[in-house]
Amino acid sequence: MLITQLKSKETIVSLVSGKAFIINCQGCKEVSFPEKEVKELQKELVADGKVTGIITTDYICNPKNMVLRLQPYMAEIEAADTILVFSCGVGVQTVAEYFEEKKVCACCDTIELPGYQGVTPLEHDCDQCGECYLNLTGGICPITACSKSLVNGQCGGSKNGKCEVDPNMECGWERIYRRLEKLGRLDLIKCPTQVRNYATDDEVKK
Amino acid sequence: MENYTKYKLKGSDELTSLLADKDNLFVIACNKCFKEFETVDEPDLGEFEKLASELGKTVTGTVKVDFLCNKTLTEKKLTDLIPEGTDHVVVISCGLGIQTVADLTGKSVVAASNSLNYTGHHGMALTKKACDACAQCYLNVTGGICPIVDCSKSLVNGQCGGAKNGKCEVDGDKDCAWEKIYQRLAKQGRLEEFLNQPVQLRDYSKVNFKVINDYVKAIREERFEGYYGGIHPSERKEFSEHIDLVRFPEPKTVVIPLSMHAGAPANPIVEVGDTVKVGQKIGEAAGFISAPVHSSVSGTVVAIENRPHATRGVCLSVVIESDGKDTLHESVQPHKSLEELTPDEIIDIVKESGIVGMGGAGFPTFVKLKPAQPVDTILLNGCECEPLLTADHRLLLAYADDIVFGLKAMLKATGAEKGIIVIEDNKQDAIEVMQAKVADVENIEVCVAKTKYPQGAEKMLIKRVLKRQVPSGGLPAHVGVVVGNVSTTKAIADAIKTGMPLIERIVTVTGERVKNPGNFIVKIGTSAKELIDYCGGTVGDKEITFKAGGPMMGFVLSDIDVPVMKGSNGFIAIDTDHTEEQPCIKCGRCVDVCPMELSPLYFAKYADEGNWKGMLEMNVRDCMECRCCEYICSSKIPLISKIRAGKKAIMEMK
Repeated sequence: MLITQLKSKETIVSLVSGKAFIINCQGCKEVSFPEKEVKELQKELVADGKVTGIITTDYICNPKNMVLRLQPYMAEIEAADTILVFSCGVGVQTVAEYFEEKKVCACCDTIELPGYQGVTPLEHDCDQCGECYLNLTGGICPITACSKSLVNGQCGGSKNGKCEVDPNMECGWERIYRRLEKLGRLDLIKCPTQVRNYATDDEVKK
Repeated sequence: MENYTKYKLKGSDELTSLLADKDNLFVIACNKCFKEFETVDEPDLGEFEKLASELGKTVTGTVKVDFLCNKTLTEKKLTDLIPEGTDHVVVISCGLGIQTVADLTGKSVVAASNSLNYTGHHGMALTKKACDACAQCYLNVTGGICPIVDCSKSLVNGQCGGAKNGKCEVDGDKDCAWEKIYQRLAKQGRLEEFLNQPVQLRDYSKVNFKVINDYVKAIREERFEGYYGGIHPSERKEFSEHIDLVRFPEPKTVVIPLSMHAGAPANPIVEVGDTVKVGQKIGEAAGFISAPVHSSVSGTVVAIENRPHATRGVCLSVVIESDGKDTLHESVQPHKSLEELTPDEIIDIVKESGIVGMGGAGFPTFVKLKPAQPVDTILLNGCECEPLLTADHRLLLAYADDIVFGLKAMLKATGAEKGIIVIEDNKQDAIEVMQAKVADVENIEVCVAKTKYPQGAEKMLIKRVLKRQVPSGGLPAHVGVVVGNVSTTKAIADAIKTGMPLIERIVTVTGERVKNPGNFIVKIGTSAKELIDYCGGTVGDKEITFKAGGPMMGFVLSDIDVPVMKGSNGFIAIDTDHTEEQPCIKCGRCVDVCPMELSPLYFAKYADEGNWKGMLEMNVRDCMECRCCEYICSSKIPLISKIRAGKKAIMEMK
């Protein structure tokens, strides 16, 4: 699952050459779609007479679904010079691939969401690093719980248990220490430093 | 379908050393998401058990759980599951699942797997990696081809120069992304624009844990407020929320179905040719769970026959031609004041006035007012969580006094101490009006609920407002609550004050395809077609779907010449949705949004297999058909029709 942030208004306006057809994808929207802002912006584009049609749909990343949904709008799409897509990067590419000869534009930036599992994320708990440290840390991930993703203990910069990078955040390594203390496993702290392997995706796959 | 593996079991050497000083293991394995659903067995748990037995370890138990990372549901599943004598909990899952268990159990947790990310983040397109979620989309510059993913080196300023015959120098099977980009832009005649672009620097600070964490925290608070699950579809109430109520012109003919309620249809007590007046009873309740029906016009009965019906296909109906005079029947007389009426008298008035739940379900209201258990609270549902509809909103604004009066009558009838009117925060004007009205009423208050669907469902409402959980298969009265709709309450006020039975209601006619949407006071039996024609008909040349009710729970109408009924809160004309059912990819979003905490994905699978017993065991009868699962389904599986088929088959099994 992905979250999107709207690009700036100037950027979006500058993308439109001639007339535009607008596709809003709200597939993952219940977590992320900037609905109100998008509506305001599109209202202005419509008022300027730049829009041939708007469709609001979901899961355009599913090519079959996208084609079925867009079918009734082919005339409007034909009449447009640009297709503006308000979706994640997957959606934009699905549209771009289908309309190879049209200018297809992304109006959002995409950032990853921890809930890559499809389930709405609760916390950003796992960075999918490929070499789980949780056994040494009492089940608290040092990659995500520590601002610096340190794997060999605290940096020494925390004050009153709070992180020096973000004072609203608890020091991940203090949390790990407390958890291990509770479990009676402080001996784990004495483990040799775990060097992180930054292997590429393909290497991990093998 | 490609198996979208999330993690793999650690190697046996690593596991052996990991387990060297550990024994008495309980093993929890996640059933994995994003994969072919339930046709292949996940080997990880079996492999681990084999290894554990080779090492001579005692395994105190094992369990496989769907979506282990779902904290709310996992917590419930794990309650009392881990037996005494367990020293370590071994988890085979991605990092999210492992941490969920570590947080919940307070026991020593052993991670037996490593999470992988090699296929990356896919949205719903599982067959290839398409987006790296870099937070700085380049697609506008590159003709919709992603240089981060498609170029082996993730170059953002053009090709490296190493490609041979269009193939990447890193991976000879791969097309050079920058050649693809060039060709596509050439095809579109955008080369000049492209070549004149300055180099796009990549900002690696755009994605950081803090941004994501803050975002996620905000989402989580919103999603979990009040009760698990639920969704927030686009409200689209702006079509009609600002439009004042208008009395709909007297219909020439009304078609009054004898079944507009849950339970047995009423028996007609008039004959063709009879003259009837407004408020005259024309159908008598047939049994305990039933309700009488009354004429909404004065005129002549011209037929008693089967007519189209919005929810049942066809239904025996009384057809009355209006004389246009609107003559009141002599039975329509004001009752005693609320102070003088006894609880039983109030219940009797409600029963005789044919009042049923006007939110849509149509359960006879007098039955609710005589609960088997003592109740302490009455919740009035003014949420109107369905998108598009605004009938209750306008009712709250126009009839606030009647609603308070009706609620007082309900409190008196049931003996409940407190009445709470629940309104969603997207109706600020209605909240203000109601708050002013109840300011000096001691035992009535207004509760403002954050907008979320399906808030108006009685079980959700009770959980949201009172934090009480209605047991599976139970009624609100089991937890001391009666839930009523604000429209129903207004009808109770009318029945007591003027003696008028339920013969009219407020109906919203709206949707993007209705020319002039509006909110109308309409006589029961008026044709929906007349309503839509009165609104100027429909607009646009594309296919239209008509529904009785809202877009979520409404019924699709193949024929719009159906009568307005007691539960008709709206008629909508919307764009027809074109989709095709595709195989379930086990994304888990249906589980994530189900407010009843069910697993809808199994209902789809079992319905296709005809496994009704399986559906029964997965508590399909708790499903209230709110359609959240179908709304969110990325494979566009028509879950509700499958669930209904299952419920029907289970009924027939007995």
